[in-house]
Amino acid sequence: MTTPNDRTGDIRGLLNSASTELPCGADIDELLEQAADSNADQLDTHQQTCPHCQAALREFARIWQPVHALAAQPVSVPAALKSAVTAQIRKLVADIWYTLQLTDGGAIRIAARVVATLARDAAATVPGVRVAFGRHSHGRIAELAEKATLSHRHPHAAVGVLGRTAVIDLALAVRYGDPVDHVARQVQQRVIAELRTTIGVQDVTVNVTVDDVIA
Amino acid sequence: MEADVDDAYLVRRAQEGYLDAYTELVSRHGALAYRVALRMLGDHHDAEDVAQDSLVAAWQQLPGFKADSSFTTWLYRIVTRRALNRINRSTTTNSLDLLGDLPGDDSDPARAVQRDLTVDAVTDAVTALPPPQRAAIVLHHFEGLSNAEIARITGSTVPAVRSHLFRARRTLSETLGGWR
Repeated sequence: MTTPNDRTGDIRGLLNSASTELPCGADIDELLEQAADSNADQLDTHQQTCPHCQAALREFARIWQPVHALAAQPVSVPAALKSAVTAQIRKLVADIWYTLQLTDGGAIRIAARVVATLARDAAATVPGVRVAFGRHSHGRIAELAEKATLSHRHPHAAVGVLGRTAVIDLALAVRYGDPVDHVARQVQQRVIAELRTTIGVQDVTVNVTVDDVIA
Repeated sequence: MEADVDDAYLVRRAQEGYLDAYTELVSRHGALAYRVALRMLGDHHDAEDVAQDSLVAAWQQLPGFKADSSFTTWLYRIVTRRALNRINRSTTTNSLDLLGDLPGDDSDPARAVQRDLTVDAVTDAVTALPPPQRAAIVLHHFEGLSNAEIARITGSTVPAVRSHLFRARRTLSETLGGWR
C-alpha cells in the first residue's frame, strides 16, 4: 500500500507518475496550483482530513518557497532608463527652436520643449493648480518654417522658428472648489511674466485648457 | 503633484502631445517594463534594452491606444511580446542573476552564498522554460496577474494560459525539487 510519505518523498516520481491523481482522488495539478499560489494552508473540507493532500501540499509549498521569495524581492530599475527613453523619444519628435537673439557671436537658441517646461513649472506654482502639462503650439508655423529653413538650419534642429513669439498650450487640473476662471487667468499672467523674464520672449500666448478638477 | 491623477488622464494628455505626461507614465511604470523583461530574459542588459524599446514603442503607438484596457495591461503586452521576440532571436542568455542589483543582507557570507544559490536555481529553472510557459509563469507568479489578464496580454485564451501554467509548474517543481 502506498503511504503519503512514499508518494511525496520523490517529487519527480509523483509528477511523472501515469496518474494525475493522488490515491485519494485529488488532482495533483490543482494541488500544485494551490501551493504555487501560496494557498497551501487554506485546506478545503476534504484536505482537512486527507493525509495524502496535506503531505503533497506541504511538499509543493516547500519547493515553491524560493520562487515566492524571489517574486517578493523588489527589482532595482536602472537609473538611466527614464532618461534614455526620454532621449530616444526626443529624437523621434521634431524639435522646434526659438532663435531669440542674433549677435556677432552667433544665435541664442532655446528648444521649444524647454520653453514648455518652464511654462508648466510656472503654472504649477499658482494656487489652485494641482496638475499642469505644457507643450509648444507651433505645429502649423513649424511646418512652414521647416520648409523655409530646410537649406540653412542648424544640423541638429528639425525646425527653426525665428523670432520672439512663443505660443504655449497648458493643460491643467485644478483643485475642486477653486474658481476655475480665476485660476486660469492667474496661470496665464504668471507664465507670461515668467517667460518674459527668464527667456526674453516678448510676445507670449498661453492657451490654457482646464480639463479636470481634483478634490 | 502628478500622483493626483490617474493613468487614463496622463494617457489622454500624452496622446495630445504633452511629452511630460508620458514621462510621468514612464516614471510610474518603467519598473514594470524592466521587471518583466528581466524575469523573462534573465539578463540585465537585455532587460534594459527591451524595457527601453518597449517604452519608446508605447509612445509611438500611443495614438492608436484605445481605452478598452488599462495602460499597464497594454504595456505588459508590449513588453512581453518584445521579450518573447528577444528570446526567439537568441536562445542563450549571459547572466541568470535576477537579484544582481538588489540590496541583500550579505553581511553573513554563508547566507549570501545560500541566497545566490537559491536565486540561481530559481532563475535557471524559469529561464529554461519554453517561452510561452515562461511568460505565463512570470506574469502570474511574479506579477500576480490572473489567467484572464494574461490571456488578454498574450492574445491567448484562458484555457491555454492555464495549460501553460500547469506544465510550467510541473517542470519547475521537478527542477527545484531535485535541487533542494
